[in-house]
This record gives sequence, C-alpha cells and structure tokens, in this order.
Amino acid sequence: MKTPPEIIVVHSARLLDHDTGGGDHPETADRLRCIERRLQSGSLAPHLHYVAPEPASHEALLAFHSESWLLRFEEEVLSGRSYIGHPDNQVCYESFDVALLSAGTGIKGVDLVEENPGRCVFCATRPPGHHAEPSMSYGFCFLNNCVIAARYWQSRYNRRRICVLDFDAHHGNGIQTAFEEDPETLYISIHEHPSFSYPGTGYAEETGMGPGKGTILNIPLTPGSSDQKVVAALDGVIREKLEQFRPEAMIIAAGFDGHRLDDMSGLNYSSALFSTLGERVGAWAANLCSGRVVSLLEGGYHLQSLAEGVETYLTGLRGK
Amino acid sequence: MYVRYYMTSSPLTIGPRKTIEEARQLLQNYNFRHLPVVDESGCLLGMVTDRDLRSAYPSSVLKEDDRRHILARIQETPVSSIMSSDNAVLNEFSTLDDALLIFEKRSVGALPVIDGNGKVVGIFSSNDLLKAWRSLFGLGEKGSALITIEMQSDVRFLSRLVALLEELDVPFTRLVRTDGSGREPAMLYLRINTYNIRAVRKVIEKAGFKVHQPEFDPEIS
Repeated sequence: MKTPPEIIVVHSARLLDHDTGGGDHPETADRLRCIERRLQSGSLAPHLHYVAPEPASHEALLAFHSESWLLRFEEEVLSGRSYIGHPDNQVCYESFDVALLSAGTGIKGVDLVEENPGRCVFCATRPPGHHAEPSMSYGFCFLNNCVIAARYWQSRYNRRRICVLDFDAHHGNGIQTAFEEDPETLYISIHEHPSFSYPGTGYAEETGMGPGKGTILNIPLTPGSSDQKVVAALDGVIREKLEQFRPEAMIIAAGFDGHRLDDMSGLNYSSALFSTLGERVGAWAANLCSGRVVSLLEGGYHLQSLAEGVETYLTGLRGK
Repeated sequence: MYVRYYMTSSPLTIGPRKTIEEARQLLQNYNFRHLPVVDESGCLLGMVTDRDLRSAYPSSVLKEDDRRHILARIQETPVSSIMSSDNAVLNEFSTLDDALLIFEKRSVGALPVIDGNGKVVGIFSSNDLLKAWRSLFGLGEKGSALITIEMQSDVRFLSRLVALLEELDVPFTRLVRTDGSGREPAMLYLRINTYNIRAVRKVIEKAGFKVHQPEFDPEIS
C-alpha cells in the first residue's frame, strides 16, 4: 500500500509582521498562529515539514503587476501610510516586504512540487492575494500570489496550461483580470453571489473574452448555500471543465470564509466540506497533472473554523 | 439621468434618396439595426430598421423569375419609400425615464435623439438603457457589496443610517429604497465600498438597524 505523502507547509514567522492596525480588521496575524497551533496539535503533526519562502523577485511580480504600482506600494508603505487606496487595505512599515514574501510562498511551492510531484504543498500565507489587480490593492490584497505563482510556473518550468481553482467565499477578481483573455489558463471560482457579496464581480455570465473565451468558470451561490451545492458543482461542471482543459498544473486559492461561523460571507459550509474539497483536488491533480498542485491560503476570518478548515482540507488532500 | 450621457453620439445616418440596398449594406457592415434617415442639413426624416428592410426583400420561396424582378426594383427604390416617419424621438434633455416609458409603450428598439433644430445628434437603444441602469446601480463595480437593511417606521431612519456610515468612514455609492407597495418588501439597498462587511454589520445592528438576510432554502434555490 502506498503511504500518503508528507505535507509541506510553506511558512515564515515574518508573515506575521504585516500589521493591519488592530480594531475591527479581520485579516490578522492570529489567523496564521491559529492554523499553526491546530496543525501542530492534531493528527497531521507527525507528517508536517516546514519550508521557508524567499521574497518574490521583481521579475516574477512584473508578470502581473505594473512597475508603477510596485513603486507606489513600496513608497506609501515606507512613508508611514496606514492604508493604501481604501481603509480596507491597512498596512504597516513592514507590509511591502511581507507582501513580497507572501508572493514568494507560491513560487517556493511551485519549486517544491517540481522537485517532487505528488507532494502535498500548502502555503500558510498572508496578506492574501486574489483580489489584487495589476495596479491596485483590493480587499486586504496587495500582490496576487496565485497569479504570480501561475506565471512563474509557466515561465520557469514551461507548464503552459495552468488551472487556478478558487473556493474562497469571495470572487477572485484579480485572478479573473489576469486570465480572462488568456487561452492557456483556466480560472474556476465558487463564491457567494456577487449581487450580495464583495467584490461585486464573478457573475456566471463572465466566461472570458476574445481568445480566452470559455476559460473562466464562475459558480455563484446564493447566500445560505451549503455543502451540497459545492459538491454538486465539483462533481458536475468543474470536473467536466477540468477534464476538457487538461491542466499541466493546478493552483488552489484556498479560502475558508464560506464556513457557516464566518460572518464575512453568508455561505453555510461545514468543516467537512473542506475535506471533500481536498480529496477532489488531490484526485484531480493525480489524474490530470501528475500531482502538480500547490494550495495557497486566501481568506478565512473566523479563527477556529479557519484552523479546522485548513486541517480537514489537508487531511483530504493528503488522502488515505 | 439624461439619455445624452449614454447614447451613441453622431450616429450613422442615410439620405432619403439612397437605395434600400445601400441601407442594407450599411446596417450589415456596421452591425446596427436602426438607421435614421436625414435631409441635407442632418434633420430627421424617418427611421429604417433591419425589419423594414427584411420585409422589403423578396421571400426565398418565390419563383426565381419573380425574385429577380423584385430584387431589380429594390436596386432602384429609395429608402424614403419604406422608412417610418411617425417616429417617437428623444431630445437632449430627455431622461432615462422618458426613454423607458417610450420603449415600454411602443415596440421600438432604438430612438433617435435630436437637437432643437431637429438635427439628429444621437441614437439611444434599449440596450443603452440597460447599460445606463447597470452603471447607475453600480452593478459589477469592483470592490463593492450590496447590503439590505429592513425599513423602519422611524422618520429619521435614513439620516441616522447615513450619519452612522459617515462616522464609520464607510463610503457608499448607491442607495435605493423600496416602499413595499410592489412585490419587493420595504427595504433599503446600500452599495458600500468595503470588504469589511462584518464591521459594518456589527455597527449597524448595534445602532438598532436590521440587516436583512434572505431566507433561501439553501439546497433548492
């Protein structure tokens, strides 16, 4: 019998240094602390290996972001601003460096998987990335970690056909911007319906443009939706789309804010759903792209369900 | 709220003596369905639509001789003979409401917009109206979310709520109120520009407002 793979967590204590100012801000360093505590005290503990990321190179960032944005982001942070563009996007003096490191986690993840495909790689990172646009921060995100990792995968390893699957409760507008005209990538997102939820994008009618037509699959769910609808989508349209696209590698934007206790969305997921998500991702990666998959943390703001969600997701992903 | 901000300015037009075939070519090349017919000074004489043109052309079930005969006549027939001249028009001060009422009443897909001298300055289609409302309502605006608050009978309801949002420094870009007389219950729809909906909800509820949660049957809808 094959032994389940070890789990590699890409993480650094430095990621805790991005300070969002306290108060009511949901995106805090405690999110990562809780995940770490949970993983180290649970049944996965003997199988965990920690690997430190390195900051993303300027070149890797420019695959999605504009030079002017990178300059502005760095300058505003160093000049002592408390937020960038919108009070949602709180920063401290360290935030630029931490965001570079956060973007570097995905890159490290890609290298680790290429070294040894089939490894179970999870980037326990923040700030998150999927709302970040080429020249603008949105929704707690400054650099688009998933897109940067996808572009790195393409340029460094020539894996052209990349699928990003995003199960965060919110639509990843930045990932869609990156991919909507690109025939080599596929973006699949399951999220709360944009009529009710941030960021107000991700309608089912948005399916890609020009040469990228058909490479965006948005699955908006009405508030109150629970596990059953997600599982139906996974085993229906999503599987079909993946089999048709045949990715060479997959990136998972793993957000846990759809949990019923997380009040950043109106979705009603149970913790068990994240195990199912992990199982499906693991199976697809094994069958479709020789185990080349990297998961990156996006949202999840109810600390206990976030930690539990990550643990059940990794348990599912690792397989029996 | 004025159609002039959402219309197609300086639209394609055609002179009355041009032939039906020329009109057809124009509409086909530019993928339009409505063509204003104007005199030398650009004043509106009538409208031709792709539908007018289709009914001018011979049916494909006609005998070949008959078809050829009709097609030859079409080559010589001016558009003025098939245009409609009894047109509803909009002017530079027409509102989106004006347009909506005309679209609702008369089955037309687009309306010419004329200036004080009767000169055609734009064309406004029902699709332009949809786009105008989409933009006014903020649909698809990145970085926003819609929250629904149940209306209360308190006369200072709105001012209290707005003051609270300003105090919180939460920018809101749209505010729509329904009075409950239609099928939609009495609600206040607010498009707010923040991801931190949790913080907004907390403060709003603490101040005595009720954020409405639709009761969907999660596994059916």
